[in-house]
Amino acid sequence: MLEKTMLIKMNQQVHGTTMFQILTEDQIERIYFAALDVLEISGARIFHKEALELFASSDAMVTETNRVRIPTSMVEQALGSCPSKSNLTGRNGKRSVKLQKNEVAFGSGADAPFVYDRKTGERRKSTFADVEAAAKIVDYLPRLDFCMSHGLVSDAPNSKTYDRHQFLAMVKNSTKPLVVTSVDGDGLKDQWEMACLIRGGEKEFRLSPLFATYIMSDSPLMSNNEIVDKLLFATEKGIPTIFSPCSGLGVNAPATIAGGLVQTLADALLTVVLCYLKKPGLPLILGGVQTIMDKDIETLSYGSPELHLASAASTEIYKWLGLLSSSSGGCTDSKVVDEQAASESVMSIYNNFMAGTNLIHHVGCIDSGLNGSLSSLVMCDEIIGMIKQIGKGIQVTDESLALDILKEVGPGGEFLSHDHTYDHWKEWFRPTIIDRSNFETWTENGSKNYTDRLEPEVDRILESHEPEPLDENIIQEMKKIINLADKKEV
Amino acid sequence: MMSTQTNQTVNQTARFSILSQDQKQRIFEGMIETLRNTGVHLHHEEARKLLKEHGALVDGVAVKIPQNLVMDALATVPPVTIVQSWDGSKKTLIEKNQVLFGPGPTPPNFTDPHTLERRKYVRADAAMVARICQALPNIGFVQSLGTISDVTVSLADVYEFAEMIQNTTKPILSWSYTRDTCRDIHQIAIAVAGGEEAFRQCPNYVFYGEPISPLLSDFHAMDKAMYCAKHGIPQVYTPCCIGGGTVPATHAGQLVCALSESMLGVVVAQLINPGTCVIMGGVQSIMDMQYSVYAYGAPELSLLSAALTEMAQYVGLPMFSTAGCTDTKTLDPQGAIEAATSVHSAMLSGANFIHDVGYFESGMTGSVLQLVMADEQIGMSHVVAKGIEVNEETMAVEEICNAGPGGNYFDTDHTKKFAASLWQPTLMDRQSYEDWAAQGKKTMKDRVIEKTRDIIANFEGPISKVPEDTKKKIADILQAAEIREAKKAEAENK
Repeated sequence: MLEKTMLIKMNQQVHGTTMFQILTEDQIERIYFAALDVLEISGARIFHKEALELFASSDAMVTETNRVRIPTSMVEQALGSCPSKSNLTGRNGKRSVKLQKNEVAFGSGADAPFVYDRKTGERRKSTFADVEAAAKIVDYLPRLDFCMSHGLVSDAPNSKTYDRHQFLAMVKNSTKPLVVTSVDGDGLKDQWEMACLIRGGEKEFRLSPLFATYIMSDSPLMSNNEIVDKLLFATEKGIPTIFSPCSGLGVNAPATIAGGLVQTLADALLTVVLCYLKKPGLPLILGGVQTIMDKDIETLSYGSPELHLASAASTEIYKWLGLLSSSSGGCTDSKVVDEQAASESVMSIYNNFMAGTNLIHHVGCIDSGLNGSLSSLVMCDEIIGMIKQIGKGIQVTDESLALDILKEVGPGGEFLSHDHTYDHWKEWFRPTIIDRSNFETWTENGSKNYTDRLEPEVDRILESHEPEPLDENIIQEMKKIINLADKKEV
Repeated sequence: MMSTQTNQTVNQTARFSILSQDQKQRIFEGMIETLRNTGVHLHHEEARKLLKEHGALVDGVAVKIPQNLVMDALATVPPVTIVQSWDGSKKTLIEKNQVLFGPGPTPPNFTDPHTLERRKYVRADAAMVARICQALPNIGFVQSLGTISDVTVSLADVYEFAEMIQNTTKPILSWSYTRDTCRDIHQIAIAVAGGEEAFRQCPNYVFYGEPISPLLSDFHAMDKAMYCAKHGIPQVYTPCCIGGGTVPATHAGQLVCALSESMLGVVVAQLINPGTCVIMGGVQSIMDMQYSVYAYGAPELSLLSAALTEMAQYVGLPMFSTAGCTDTKTLDPQGAIEAATSVHSAMLSGANFIHDVGYFESGMTGSVLQLVMADEQIGMSHVVAKGIEVNEETMAVEEICNAGPGGNYFDTDHTKKFAASLWQPTLMDRQSYEDWAAQGKKTMKDRVIEKTRDIIANFEGPISKVPEDTKKKIADILQAAEIREAKKAEAENK
């Protein structure tokens, strides 16, 4: 072998990871300019009193019909104030999600009204216990980074406080950072207060947020008062905020994906400006669901390839603008965990991961977002592992090129017994539920298909995993906040 | 509309890349160094003689190939090759980034689409697989998904081709045991094309041959490759490299090996017939260390195949890649996960012939159910891969402003024009839970089985268009081959 001491290969640029791109910078710019046009020409409609006042006292135009039109200069000023990074940190301070360019985190979600009962198999409304179970599984799974309420707590004392109960169920059972949804501004305030209890104060939360809040808007360019309430509260307190405009292509958005992107971006930029007017500096994580909508049943498809494409493109646009991004992934329209659920989950995780979306939520959601599946969560954990393996790319070094090893083994030889193989095979992905045994071994083990192996694994995690307990005093303090809300809302 | 744009770079499709230019150059240099310094074992005297005449170092079966031979070969490979369907209805281009998906060859077992049992592959299956491929819109070429067990053993390859070519007009990738059966297949193809000259003008199939990893070509692999080169038959010359088994466990080392092994075929083929089409690639994956199985569902297969595709594009060769296959033993979510992952990777990489769609059980069983499911996944992948068209009309600023906040786009002219281009699933269910439950709670597996059986029962294929005299010629070729093989067997018995 050549002595390598004084040899150096110069001017080498490598791909540190796999590279993926839907849009060029020129295409992104065009979409951005088009969105600015929409905000100048057509604008948005706002009904919230404080928001209207904020806009009216700025350079924006507010018409008698509550139409708000925003000049480009304001948008660009507001964009300049958005933080480029923000970290979410779980309750014990050990597990965190880095929100910064090209960092990707996956999490469960979100607020599914139904669940399959694990004992009876029956489809029923989800409860506090279901959210706890999902949080426990998220706490266990190595490739899920944050916990978002998998189900809607239907057994809360009243329908206007379920969000506080979801928060408790999650924070008790997972030390990972949270993403929360709130019924309204008051709900967000209570959740924030509970988080401040855990973190030890308001400034502590601001420096190291325990959760991000997820705000979905399903009426393009027309955020309702509850959405604005939440946005304004989050801005005041520095709660990282996911804003996710959802639309159906050809129903409440243009039928073209480029058109959907323009509309979504206009909506996102409007939110950027509103938050800026309230108080500059909110960490905004922008998302968007542009997908196929069945206009008769008004459900959005969570498995369509158009959604995966539009989400990846959205991420690229937000990255270019220096903003943080989010999207749904690991979800499906299938009613059960089957080949469709697997296919759609792979496609969404693949494209969103490669695009570099910061927060990928809704992992494990089936039935177009209506059913929170624990089985799908566990399946997606394995899928994420596979996709990340592809995303790592390939190292090209003297060690990995292994030319000397190849020479040593020679034509017709074998590498199985070579030290080089022993040193490196552990870099490969190792499956957990996926089975690679041969037919005979598989038959001897009972010819179990993927689902047959998946379900016992879910049960095993539920039975054996004990999340780090949360201080009982803090739980009691949190319960006081919740009880107060329960009584007030009755 | 008058354009007012200038200096615009657009992505007409998604772009995907594993290796940088510098990384590709290093792997390329690794291949040059390996062929020059480590060399190959070549068990074909005539080929060794040819290489020696052109400057290779030959010592017994060991051959070391100098870099000028490699560079000369790469200078004569064709940038474009055209394969034509035998009825003239469709031309397939083999050129950079032109993607086609199809099944793979030779698993011993087959999943019966009616009983769902694993059984031996039979002659009728070859015709059925070809018909199913013909029916599936996202399948672009045909391989058999099995080795025929119910004909003369040494002629399974020829019977397979004879059955398939009459049941599809999509290009077939055939394989053979020996030069004799390679010639039989060629003769059938000539008969179907309507003569030798017609075939030479535009071949109607591609031949698939396989050296052995690491760095070894047996007699038959090279013999068939030389036959194809001489007769201008486009050919695949690719190894199955097993990371940690037959090649290094590190991906870069595996890529060097795979590239070197294909390059031997390229060099010999170009010496025999400069300008003949040779396709590189092969199955690239790792050895599962728990079960000692060649993992067809591993994410490393996706990663290696995409990277090798980039190497093929770098050296200017077409690529034979792998996807849509799985280590599962039955149609289940594992098969769906593994196929979707590899299908999307291979699509994004831009490989030419992406094979093994429909492989179960690490290549030991062929399944048309897996094939039919993957066809839908390829459709989904295609939507993402073709990217987003960004122009005045698609950005729809005017539409958005007209609709206004919270506006309705249903039934507008713009929607009517573009809604049709949204993807229509055939196997993915988007109904409400209630409608789905009312229709019997079918899973995707149920729908895949239904669709497969429906194609088998109702899809004709082109067999009725095959002229009677062509059928006769095929029968004659088969009969002559039977006589030849019988004589061979007799001679061997003596």
